[in-house]
Amino acid sequence: MGRKRITYEYTHDGIKESILRHAKSLRLPEGWGEQVAERVAKAADKWIDDKDVVTEDDLRNFISKELDDVSPDIAFAYRNHDKII
Amino acid sequence: MSDLLNIATIVLAGIIQASLQLSLGGLVLLYYSSMGHHKRRKTRYLAKSYIWGASAISFVIVCAGAFVLQNTLGGPIPHGWMMVAVGALIACALVMLLGYFRDGNGTELWLPKSVSRYITRRAKTANDNVEAFSLGMLSAFAELPITIVTYFIVANCLVGVRMPLAAALLYIVIVATPMIALKVGIKTGRNAIAVQQWRIRNKGFVKLFASSGFAIMALFIVAFWVL
Repeated sequence: MGRKRITYEYTHDGIKESILRHAKSLRLPEGWGEQVAERVAKAADKWIDDKDVVTEDDLRNFISKELDDVSPDIAFAYRNHDKII
Repeated sequence: MSDLLNIATIVLAGIIQASLQLSLGGLVLLYYSSMGHHKRRKTRYLAKSYIWGASAISFVIVCAGAFVLQNTLGGPIPHGWMMVAVGALIACALVMLLGYFRDGNGTELWLPKSVSRYITRRAKTANDNVEAFSLGMLSAFAELPITIVTYFIVANCLVGVRMPLAAALLYIVIVATPMIALKVGIKTGRNAIAVQQWRIRNKGFVKLFASSGFAIMALFIVAFWVL
């Protein structure tokens, strides 16, 4: 029996919100967090534009790589926040 | 058995339990998630409730254990029986050394996936002090397969000591020390991810420390309680 596939609709604001939350958790200045989130969300918009469906893992990998260039701290948090326990 | 020996055993058990990572990991996760959602003041209250929850359940377990021993055996268990605890301590030392952390870059523990997912989900959605308190209790409960032997030894010592309540409180303070240190660290400007990076860098040391702790405690009990 196969696993049920769960799909979500991609949104620019969803990505931005998620990165902003990480920035806030890291106590980064709000303006800086906003800039990083906007930049990465725009890159993700561009990347996803020509695709009908992407997996969550692919999207997360893409965002992590983008964050590596802009803010390694947020990138680390984005990659590892669910590997704490 | 002298008070000094009982207290030394309680302190050693406390140090071993303090080096375990589930309660601390839960608190790191709670801090991290809460700081992304709530104001700092609320995060501080949630963290405080979590620490109280984890400490309260440990306190209740050791006191209940001491009560049961006192009312069934009328005192500490015979020294020869402590060999059962020694066996369990050696098993724990091996478990800590060989399989406490999952492979990979994180600090994921060898808990059943459903338990770690449940704790993670609860930590991410904890919104008030009662939820944080019960999450602290849950994290202490989830580590029972490892900690039950230290609880048992502490309960046994409490039965033989002159001031059991003070000794139980001493034990709880030692167990809660890493969580309190984390709280102080975050209050003084560190963030939860910096703490997590430290945990990842030092997980080999943590594993070795806890494993050696269990082995030392096994030898300690054989030397001072059994022989």
